[in-house]
Amino acid sequence: MTLTVKEELIKRSPLRILEKSISGGLGKGNIGVLASRKGVGKTACLVHIAADKLLQDKPIIHVSYASRVDHIITWYEDIFKEIAKKPKMKSALDTFDELIRKRVIMNFKQDGARTEQVLRSLEAMIVHANFRAETVIVDGLDFAQAGPEDLRKFKDFAGRLGLEVWFSASLKKDDPLFDDRGIPFELKSYLDVVDVLISLQLHGDHVHFSLVKDHERLAPKDLRLKLDPTTLLIAKDVRARAR
Amino acid sequence: MSTDIARMRNIGISAHIDSGKTTLTERILFYCKKIHKIHEVKGKDGVGATMDSMDLERERGITITSATTNVEWADHSINIIDTPGHVDFTIEVERSLRVLDSAILVLCSVGGVQSQTITVDRQLRRYNVPFIAFINKLDRVGANPFKVREQIADKLGHNAVLMQIPIGLESAFRGLVDLVTMKALYFDGPEGEDIRVEEIPAELAAEAAEKREEMLDAVSMHSDELMEAVLEGRPTENLVRAAVRRGVVTRKLVPVFVGSAYRNKGIQPLLDAVVHYLPNPSEVENRAIDLDHEGAERVLTDAPEAKTVALAFKLEDGAYGQLTYIRIYQGGLHKGDELVNTRSGQKIKVGRLVRMHADTMAEIHEAGSGDIVALFGVECASGDTFCSPGLNLAMTAIYVPEPVISLAIEPVDKNASDRMAKALNRFTKEDPTFRTHVDPESNETIIQGMGELHLDVYVERMKREYRAEVKTGMPQVAYREAIGQKVDFDYTHKKQTGGSGQYARIIGRLEPLGKGAYEFSNEVRGGRIPREFIPSCDKGFKAVMKKGQLIGFPVTGVRVVLTDGQYHPVDSSDIAFQTAAQGAFRQVYAMAKPQILEPIMKVSVEGPTEFAGNVFATISQRRGTIVSSVEDGTFSRVDAEVPLSEMFGYSMVLRSLTQGKAEFTMEFLKYGRVPAYIAELLTEQHLERKKKESQK
Repeated sequence: MTLTVKEELIKRSPLRILEKSISGGLGKGNIGVLASRKGVGKTACLVHIAADKLLQDKPIIHVSYASRVDHIITWYEDIFKEIAKKPKMKSALDTFDELIRKRVIMNFKQDGARTEQVLRSLEAMIVHANFRAETVIVDGLDFAQAGPEDLRKFKDFAGRLGLEVWFSASLKKDDPLFDDRGIPFELKSYLDVVDVLISLQLHGDHVHFSLVKDHERLAPKDLRLKLDPTTLLIAKDVRARAR
Repeated sequence: MSTDIARMRNIGISAHIDSGKTTLTERILFYCKKIHKIHEVKGKDGVGATMDSMDLERERGITITSATTNVEWADHSINIIDTPGHVDFTIEVERSLRVLDSAILVLCSVGGVQSQTITVDRQLRRYNVPFIAFINKLDRVGANPFKVREQIADKLGHNAVLMQIPIGLESAFRGLVDLVTMKALYFDGPEGEDIRVEEIPAELAAEAAEKREEMLDAVSMHSDELMEAVLEGRPTENLVRAAVRRGVVTRKLVPVFVGSAYRNKGIQPLLDAVVHYLPNPSEVENRAIDLDHEGAERVLTDAPEAKTVALAFKLEDGAYGQLTYIRIYQGGLHKGDELVNTRSGQKIKVGRLVRMHADTMAEIHEAGSGDIVALFGVECASGDTFCSPGLNLAMTAIYVPEPVISLAIEPVDKNASDRMAKALNRFTKEDPTFRTHVDPESNETIIQGMGELHLDVYVERMKREYRAEVKTGMPQVAYREAIGQKVDFDYTHKKQTGGSGQYARIIGRLEPLGKGAYEFSNEVRGGRIPREFIPSCDKGFKAVMKKGQLIGFPVTGVRVVLTDGQYHPVDSSDIAFQTAAQGAFRQVYAMAKPQILEPIMKVSVEGPTEFAGNVFATISQRRGTIVSSVEDGTFSRVDAEVPLSEMFGYSMVLRSLTQGKAEFTMEFLKYGRVPAYIAELLTEQHLERKKKESQK
C-alpha cells in the first residue's frame, strides 16, 4: 500500500518537471548549481532534491559548510512532513525513519576545510564505509573563496565516483546580478565547469526558477516552477503556465 | 556551621581516571579537619581513602557512587559531591551534575587533557557548570603545567589562565607562587599543614611578573574597574578576585591552579579558590518541572519563606540504616516538616536530619535552600522530588530508559541466595536503570542494565558489600518481539472430560501499536463474555507476551481488541479465560508477521580528523548508520546509530585503530528491527536452546 502511494508521490513530484527540462536529470559526473541571493530558498530546494532521491531509496550525502547538523536534520524533518501531508501517506513517520537511514550529513567548518580534505572524507564515506551515494548536495560553499579550480576538483571527483553533485551558490555582489542571458556575473568564471545552472529569483512574493545552462546549451528558460512560500517545497507554477 | 547561602558551595571534583581525584579529596578532608589521618588510595595501610567508602572502589582505585561529604573552610560550608567519570553510569553522573553548582576539574600534569577529561568537560558544558582547574602531580617526572594549561585552552576551548606558577618541578617541586598576592607559598610540616609565606625567589621573579601580566590581561576582560586599575598600575587583590569570580560564574574564564595532592602541596590555596571563585547556590538558576501544568518549567527561588522543593539524589544502605541524600533547591527542611513525594504522592515526615561526612555524620535540626543533607527512614527511590504540600514539582524528568542488556546470575549457595536477594532489592531502589526478575522458565535470576560495566559493578558490589557470591552467564542483548500486521483470532479452550470442566471462547484481533508496549481494548457487547472474565483475558495476554515464540523475548507494541466470545455457565472460569487468551495469542502470532527488535544505540566518536575514514568503516561494519560527521580542522566527530549487539569490544577496536586518540560514548536510542538474516540466526539459536533444554 505504502509503496504505491510512494510511487505516486515520486511520479507526481514537481521535480519531474525539473528533470524533464534538463534533459532527464543532472547525470553522473555532472555539477549542478542553484544560484540566488541569500535567503531566497536554495537550501530548501537542495533538501527537496535530496528528499526526492531518498523517497526513491537512493542514498544521498548532504555536505554543508555553514549550518549546524541539528538545523539540517530539522530541514529534512520539515520537508518530509510537508511531502507526507499531500496524499494519504500512511505511517509517514515510519517511512521517514527508514528514509533517513540513507542520508549522511557531513559538516565542514569553512575556513578549516580545504576541498582536498572534504573530498578525502567524502571518498572515505563512499568507499571505506561503503555508503553508495549517487547524489551529493553541497550547501554553503563560498564560491568567491573557493574558485573554479575547487569546483573542477569536485567535478573530477564526481566523474571518478559516478556522482551527480548539486551546489548552492550565494550571490553577494550588487545589482545587477545577471547578464542579459541570465548568467550571474559572479559565476561566469565557473561556467564551463557547471553542467546545469539554475537561478532563483524573487518576483513579488514568489520565487521563480530560471534555467540558465542545461548541459551544453546556454539558453535562458522559465522552468515553470516556484518555491511554495508556506511549505518551502518546489511546486508547479500555475501562473507561469497561464502566461 | 554557617547556613548563610552566600557561604555555601556545592562542588564536584571531576577528572580522568588516575588524575588523583580521590587523593585530592582525601587531602581536602584532612585540611578541613574532617579526618585526622590521611589514607592513600589503594593504601598500604589497608584503610584506603575516606571518600571511597565502598570496598570495591577501594580495590579498583576508582569511584563509583557519588557519596557526598560536607567540609568547612574559611567559614564556608562546602558540600563535595564525588562524581563517577565512566559513561556507563549515566544516571549517576547526570544526577550528581544536577545536584552540584560548580566543579574542580583535576588534570594530571603529565597526561594533560585526556579522553575522559574531554568527556567530563562536555558534561560540565551540557549542564552549564562553572569550574576551576587543578593541575595535579607536579612532582611527577615530565610534569609540565604550562603545556597542560595550553591544552585546556586549545583542546577544550576554555579561556584558561594560570593563577599560580610552580617553584621547581618533578622531584624539585617545592611550592608555588600566587600570582594574585605575588608571594611564594611553601607547605611545611609532615602533612603540609603549615603554610610558609615568603618573597618570590629571585630566579622566579621575572617569570612570575610575566605570568601575572598574562593573568591580569585575561581577567580584566571581565571587569572595567579592574581594567582601569591595571592601567593605573594598582590592581588590588579584591578587584582581581571579583573579576575572576565573574569570569568563572559566567563560564568565560577558567582559572588554573597547580600542586601535588600526594605531596601535600597546593591544596589549601585550592580551597581558598573554591571560596573565592566558585558560585554559591543562589547564583545558579534551578528549574523544576511543574507536574500540574504538563511539564512546564518553573524557576526556583532561594527566598527563605518559599515552599520547599528538594531532590532525593542518592540512597545508601549503610551502617546507620537507610540514608536518603537530599539537595534542597527551595525553602528549607526542618525536623517535623511534612513533605510530599511528588512521584508517589506519599507523605513523609522529616525525622532525623544529618549532614554527612564520607563515613561519619552530624545531627542537625534544619537546613536551608541550597544545602545538601541526608534523611533517615524515608521510603523513596533515587530521583524522587519532595515538596511542601500544595506544590507539585519534579526536579528530574520521570522518564527512565529501559535496560538494554541482561545477565543471568546464580548464587553459589543458599546463604549467598538470601544475601543476593537483599542486595538486589537495594540496588533496584538506588538505580532505576538497574532491574531484576526471575525467569519463570529457566528459574534464573536475571539482572538488567545500561551496559556491560554497569552490570559488572553491581555483581562486584554484591560480592563485597553483601558477601553474595554469584556466578554470571554471558551478557545478553535485550531483544524484543513485535507484530508487523493485524491478525484476527477466534479460539476456544475446552476441557470437558469428567469432573469440573473448562470452557472459554474468545474472538478478536491483535494490532501493531505505534507507541507503547501493550493495550487492551474490550469491545464485547451484550455479556457474551461475563464482565468478571474480561480481566482474565487481559491477564492471559499479558502473561503470554512475556515470552515471544520467535526467540523467547517479550512481545511489545501490541493492541489486543476483544470483540466477542462464548462462555459456559458452569465450566467457564478465570483460569479458563486466561488459558484461552494464551492459546489465542500462540495460535495467531505467526500470522501477524512477527519481528525481532534490537536496541539501537546512539554512538558518538570523537578524535583527530585523520582517523575519520577508519571510524566510518568501523561503523558501517557494525551495521551502523552514520547520521552525520562534523570536521572542524584537525578534530572530528561522527554521530551514528549502531545496534548494541555489534558494540561489544568496540572500545578495543577503536583504541587500536586510532592509537588511543579517539574516544566514544554511547547511549540507548530506540528499538529497531533486526535484519532478516540476523533474525533467522537468532531464531535458530533459540530453537537449539529449547531443544537442549527439553533433552535435559
